Amino acid sequence: MKNKKTTAFKIIWTVFFLLLSVIFFMPLLWMLSSSLKTSPQVFEIPFRWFTDRLHWENYKEIWTSVEFPFLRLYKNSIFISVISVAGQIIISSMAAYAFAIVDFKGRNVLFILFLITMMIPAQVLLIPRYVLFRSIGIYNTLWSIILPHFFNISSIFLFRQFYLTFPKELLEAAKIDGAGHFLIWSRVLLPLTRNVMISLAVLCFINTWNEYLNPLVFLANQKLFTVPLGIRWYTTNTARDYNLMLAAASSAIIPVVIFYAVAQDYFEEGITKSGIKG
Amino acid sequence: MKQKKETLVGYAFLAPALIIFLALVVFPICMSIYLSFTKWNFLSGWSGISWIGFDNFKRLFTRDRSFKVALINTFVYAVTIVPPTVFLALLLAHAFNGNIFCKRYFRFAFFVPYISNMVALGSIFQFLFRMDGPINGLLKAVFHLADSEIPNWLADNSLCRVPVICVMIYSGLGYCLLIYIAAIKDISKDLYEAAAIDGATSARQFFSITVPLISPTTFYLLIVRMISVFQIFAAVNIINSTGKAGGNVSLVLLVYNEAFLNYNFGYASAEAWVLVAIILVVTAIQMWGQKKWVNY
Repeated sequence: MKNKKTTAFKIIWTVFFLLLSVIFFMPLLWMLSSSLKTSPQVFEIPFRWFTDRLHWENYKEIWTSVEFPFLRLYKNSIFISVISVAGQIIISSMAAYAFAIVDFKGRNVLFILFLITMMIPAQVLLIPRYVLFRSIGIYNTLWSIILPHFFNISSIFLFRQFYLTFPKELLEAAKIDGAGHFLIWSRVLLPLTRNVMISLAVLCFINTWNEYLNPLVFLANQKLFTVPLGIRWYTTNTARDYNLMLAAASSAIIPVVIFYAVAQDYFEEGITKSGIKG
Repeated sequence: MKQKKETLVGYAFLAPALIIFLALVVFPICMSIYLSFTKWNFLSGWSGISWIGFDNFKRLFTRDRSFKVALINTFVYAVTIVPPTVFLALLLAHAFNGNIFCKRYFRFAFFVPYISNMVALGSIFQFLFRMDGPINGLLKAVFHLADSEIPNWLADNSLCRVPVICVMIYSGLGYCLLIYIAAIKDISKDLYEAAAIDGATSARQFFSITVPLISPTTFYLLIVRMISVFQIFAAVNIINSTGKAGGNVSLVLLVYNEAFLNYNFGYASAEAWVLVAIILVVTAIQMWGQKKWVNY
């Protein structure tokens, strides 16, 4: 009897959440539906989810357009994201190893200095980085977006937390067996923190992929533009063709959503453990 | 001897991070502080830098109208975006904990806007709030408004904040929900069971168990979301891209415009440091408040 009642409650709540999630998806569903319409159909009243047919040619147009092909935007974004992730993971885990395991002079001072600068928002660094990048010739190259990702205090902090929980006896044992720090890091700690690495990699990838302000400032050559800059271009320059603009937005969002669906556990672990990204 | 070697090894491991840190964090911070006390149009070259003391800040707080608007907006956004997001997420998380099916799907569904590109979301919301867009269509249908009565969200100087507020709540909710769900899991199930046996309703359980025991998380989320709301840029930048109104500008947008449209690097740096000051104050409140207001 009691069980039946709880099950009934569960079903009611589930239906409620289902409705809520549909409302929540509405803007995105609307985006998808409109991206497959012709330009006048987007403004049609009354609104229809499906019109005469699905106009896939919108996608064909933005992916292969002469001026702003999404194919090229994707290539740039993928290049930036992959290198940024690889660099950030390796560099952060090395730094974390130094902070957690190696006992060296100045360790605490440096670590506190790292943490203090965490409070400074990235926008403050924008102008000096612009000046710096222009004077060393990195401005207007993909590296101006990649390099800043190589230092991420949250990643260092999270790796350090995991390395600190590593039993000291095992480290001593490894040392007695003649293993140096490099071997311990690469052969013992890295494999053991595989899940943390994947979680961080997933988060770093999404952050890099969605990044807007830095590419907007550091990239001037349209050939180097990333996906968010592409959406911006379609939003501002093809003023009347909302179907194209929405096809661009869909092209940016859908792959990320699929990626998230596949790697959901890693995402959730990364986000709840670190709260990276504001 | 051995200690020396350890120090060497330590710095070797740290070197890549340290080099980037010095070049792309420490040096820019110092330079930015210096620039905020100068007048420098980047286009005039290095020789164009001139030290003007606190003049930038004086001008900001006495004569700059758009800065005043941005400063007010910073607080308007913080108040209208953060508490609703966090409270809504808490309600949802509580209901979520009351056992529903397909939890995995729902965590997924609410989180999607958070990982969606803000530029894309901004474009969508800009369209939704157009004069002839779906939101006004809905308003017309529900309230039978005449064409002259429908609000012009994007062109009105105070209404143009609404799309920004909506898109920020929309994208932030899933993040707060996820953090809450993880935190509520740690509250002992026995408490809820005991309360249920004593006849406490779900609402009562919410106020007497969930809210007080989850207060550290609430506090954390309020601060974290507030700091990210202070840094709004993409949403405003995109939503404004076709509108004529400027009433929704954020501090970061001003910094961007001043620096990369007008190239006034000195003045823009001063604006950026006002943002830093606001964030530092909130962070300080966090550190202080954690001890004081929160029930552990």
